[in-house]
Amino acid sequence: MKLTKTKHYKAFSVPLLQENPISRQMLGICSALAVTVQMKTAIVMGLSLTFVLSFSNLAISLMRNVIPRNIRMIVELSVIASLVIVADEILRAFLYDISKQLSVFVGLIITNCIVMGRAETYALGHSPGLSFMDGLGNGAGYSSVLISVAFIRELLGSGKLLGYQVIPSMAYDLGYENMGFMLLAPAAFIIIGLLVWLQNWLTSDR
Amino acid sequence: MSSYVKSILFALTTAVICSFLLTAASAGLKGFQLENIDVDKKKNILMAVGLVDSEEPYQKKDILDLYGENIQSFRVSLEGEVVSRDKASEASLPIYIYQKDREITSYIIPVNTRGLWGKIFGYLALNSDGSTVTGFTVYKHSETPGLGGEIEKRWFQKNFEGKKILDKAGSFASISIAKGFLPESFPQDKLPNYVDGISGATLTGKYLTAGLKNVLQAYEPVSIKFRTKQSIQIREK
Repeated sequence: MKLTKTKHYKAFSVPLLQENPISRQMLGICSALAVTVQMKTAIVMGLSLTFVLSFSNLAISLMRNVIPRNIRMIVELSVIASLVIVADEILRAFLYDISKQLSVFVGLIITNCIVMGRAETYALGHSPGLSFMDGLGNGAGYSSVLISVAFIRELLGSGKLLGYQVIPSMAYDLGYENMGFMLLAPAAFIIIGLLVWLQNWLTSDR
Repeated sequence: MSSYVKSILFALTTAVICSFLLTAASAGLKGFQLENIDVDKKKNILMAVGLVDSEEPYQKKDILDLYGENIQSFRVSLEGEVVSRDKASEASLPIYIYQKDREITSYIIPVNTRGLWGKIFGYLALNSDGSTVTGFTVYKHSETPGLGGEIEKRWFQKNFEGKKILDKAGSFASISIAKGFLPESFPQDKLPNYVDGISGATLTGKYLTAGLKNVLQAYEPVSIKFRTKQSIQIREK
């Protein structure tokens, strides 16, 4: 069987584009607005969410047959919250500057609808392997949107990519100016809207 | 076993496992985190005197090297005398000196004040003339992101550069944070003592104003020494 036909591959690839958590399901918009001013923060945020999501899916899927139904949400939440705190501690230890910039938003992964949503709708009903792939896929889908938005915002807003100046100073001499609007949250709204339009247009059956 | 007991047992086990995981992560990473916090403080001191640009990326080693070359830390008594480290009592205050070519360029005082939701920690650097602010930074706070949290942003901190802690007559006036932006009709002679505030964060500004006044008041004996050009006795380490 070809790799692209396996169930595991499907669990990973479907949320990447067709069922993308941000551009399709409209979840996790809050953090997508807040951390996409720079590529660096967007990448780290995407990685943190992918880490939390895939391991919470894995843990919950492993326990899916023993979790008592009446307390399942509390159990899910404690697993997610623990993972988020671990991710936050790791960032603080190794990427201190970025963790300062992300401030509350790493902690707010706990309330990110994507994580809880995948635990409830997917991990509780699928095998650990599939759930882990689903987590990776959703995380990658989330990250890809975040990074695309951050790419546009950082390039147009401050003329940089990953902190390095890419628009030559000659352009500024000729009268080019950074678009200050891109640094504000409403810009992310508009870009996400355009991305949704682009995706619908690409995936629609014309 | 009834389902209630089962639920409670399950919840208990989950809680215990999670808490072990968290303790392990927190204890295992503590060393790295403390080191980062220390480097971050030093970076903020360097930022306050303008040796480091907050927008540029720096390696840990660069910060430590720059700090080691330029900054010395001392404790001063309440009267503004430098006290030796071993005699330093509770009543002495920490101060940092930035020396360039064996001349004191500026001195940095730590700011530690109440904010709206928690404490605000930062540094205020003053020129060796004893009255001009060369920089202000905040390295730790719990203000609302986007509102009071703007105190950690460059646009806010930049406003402090060049401001005076003395009024026109030469008496102590501290630096106050205005309510929102300073209006154009603001009296010219008061301008050096005021900085633009953050709209939506009036209380943060109010607490920070009070905090800066307290801190500057406490360090006034040192500032007077600088102003009157009395030499501050510092011994080389």
